[in-house]
Amino acid sequence: MRYIKKLFAVVLIFAFAPGLLFPQYQELSTERSIKFKPGIGFEYLNRTLDWGDDNTSKLNSYLFTLNAEIEIQDRISLSAIAGYSLSSFDKLLFKQLPFSIELDTGNIGGYLFGSELNFKIYNFNDFEIKARGQFIYYIATKKEWAIPGLSVSGNVTGKPNWWRIIAGPQITYTGFDYFYPYIFISYSDLRGTYSMEQSIEDLSGKEDKKIVSLGNICAAIGTYYELTDYLNIKAEILIIPNETSLDFSFILGTLFSF
Amino acid sequence: MKSRKLLLYLCIIFSIILSTGYTQTRFHKQLRPRNKNYLHHQKIRQLNDGLPLHKKSQKYAVDQILVKFKPSVKSQSIKTTLAVYNAKLLKKIPIGNIYQVQIPEGTTVEEMVYYMSQNANVEYAGPNFIAHITVTPNDTFFDYQYALYNSGQDIGVPGSPQGKNRADIKATAAWEESKGGEEVIIAIIDTGVDLEHPDLVNKIISSGRDFVNDDLDATDDNSHGTFVAGIAAAETNNNEGVAGVAWNCKILPIKCIDEEGTGFYSWIIEGIYWAVDNNASVINLSIGGLETDPGLEDALKYAFDNDIVVVAAAGNEAEPVLYPAAYTEYCLAVAASDYDDNRVSWSNYGPEIDVAAPGERIVGCVPAWFWGPGSIPYAFGSGTSYASPHVAGFAALIKSSKDWLTAAEIMNIICYSADDVNSTEHPGKDDYIGYGRINMEKALVPLIITN
Repeated sequence: MRYIKKLFAVVLIFAFAPGLLFPQYQELSTERSIKFKPGIGFEYLNRTLDWGDDNTSKLNSYLFTLNAEIEIQDRISLSAIAGYSLSSFDKLLFKQLPFSIELDTGNIGGYLFGSELNFKIYNFNDFEIKARGQFIYYIATKKEWAIPGLSVSGNVTGKPNWWRIIAGPQITYTGFDYFYPYIFISYSDLRGTYSMEQSIEDLSGKEDKKIVSLGNICAAIGTYYELTDYLNIKAEILIIPNETSLDFSFILGTLFSF
Repeated sequence: MKSRKLLLYLCIIFSIILSTGYTQTRFHKQLRPRNKNYLHHQKIRQLNDGLPLHKKSQKYAVDQILVKFKPSVKSQSIKTTLAVYNAKLLKKIPIGNIYQVQIPEGTTVEEMVYYMSQNANVEYAGPNFIAHITVTPNDTFFDYQYALYNSGQDIGVPGSPQGKNRADIKATAAWEESKGGEEVIIAIIDTGVDLEHPDLVNKIISSGRDFVNDDLDATDDNSHGTFVAGIAAAETNNNEGVAGVAWNCKILPIKCIDEEGTGFYSWIIEGIYWAVDNNASVINLSIGGLETDPGLEDALKYAFDNDIVVVAAAGNEAEPVLYPAAYTEYCLAVAASDYDDNRVSWSNYGPEIDVAAPGERIVGCVPAWFWGPGSIPYAFGSGTSYASPHVAGFAALIKSSKDWLTAAEIMNIICYSADDVNSTEHPGKDDYIGYGRINMEKALVPLIITN
């Protein structure tokens, strides 16, 4: 609980930072040193999860985000991210409950919080190298399902959460007008917990299943496209190889510049 | 100042380039599978080595999927669609209009199913799942054990009664999940057990304890205990005799009933305490008396408090439930059902009944001396005495799968997973079969929760 509170405080700081800095931005914006860029984004995420005991499953997640980015001196940008996600955990087995269950329930809605940091390091001819890191935390709303087929009524209540960190260098080619392709080599880790509670009359149990993603090294190609002076589009495809399959995610976002 | 800044930038750039190079080197090792041939070979090696992190039992074919196209789609369009995905048609199941399709190398089943499902011509795409035969033991008389698997077969010689299809405790499906563990011991407090019986000899952990003759040899001089022990945990899949409910669990024989079939409460009380102190996980009491006794209740409580599941027969007089079964707080009271899932008329009844299990025309073990030389040591028998060990074996399987569960929890699982087979006349828990006839599959195989 304390952990969640701390996380929430960090997210709030990030979320309010642009607002708090807004007066400064007005003053400095004439010098073009601080820019405020709100945006919206979508990501489809596909990751192989290891649940222990040689059980794997797929996490399929749709992330809808609102971003508030503040760019300082055209060098550092910091974004606060908030949004909604639908996450599906495929076929999950919970065998530590009094009645073992296999969950095949599709998407569970939940909230997203996070932040992203971009730090430009070096420009070389038409290439720009920057460090990029992102943290996302997903916490689902509790969901309840009836247990079928028993001689008495009972239910299970599931509540998953996961966090993902992704960080690495990004090399962008800036030689084209309006169109800036890039490659992004990164380390990515996704972990979390799926809490499941079972309640059948006076029989109850709880199982917390740990989620760990398989595969940590990712490669992405993507591009920024300046549609107008005030509107940027970003598209990215990221692949994550692991021992069993090739995971991928797809990102589409827009940023408005002021 | 400028030169220091430049030096700092150079250091950062140098370290980034180094780390990028290192990351890419590692990444190339990971990326190599993108070469299709390499991926193909790697997959085969993983499968052959048994190394993949998938579940050990393969759920579906890794190189093919099943696709059903919409009825309006012409065969030429189907060919075109498959060609677009670089998929090869292996076989068509004409009546179902289902196509068995080989997926291209370098593509996983999940990816191909996803891509095909997005196609407007496709009604359904899914993996080609692998089915397994359910566990059917090779014991000689397994076909007669309708209690474990009832296909509506003749129960005995031709002309014998036939059971109702699937009026059984779903043992074969449950054995897919658990056949029990050797560490789980079922104490049979009864007339003793034939220690040399071919279907029991490898399952008995010791010669037990005889409270009738006060020695350490619980040899059966009646046959009742041997029959009960065989139902709970006869050696299974050994090409011999009958299958036990708890394949791998062990038997601890405790003799508290004499050769006439009677025993003092004091012997039974001592037997319960002795079973608890000798590592029993489950106690079966296919015995009963009309009278209450605080000493007997205390012994049951001692077992319950030590997380030992006690299962007891309700009795066969069509009268109120006998003791100890009637001590419902500390033990499960078991009524008898038959091969049609009906309550047997002689089965005792009352609010203490927790569940029912097959107890009519049950095939089981008898001591070698019982029929005399030249006869096989098996017989048919009826009674709640033979219903109870089905439940005891069931409890042992649950204990084997989930050893952290308390006795109360196991008892609840057995009750809540029961099939309310008399729900038309007596919906819910009733005085005749309690929560219903036990269903091992529901308790042991994961229940599927869908939206």
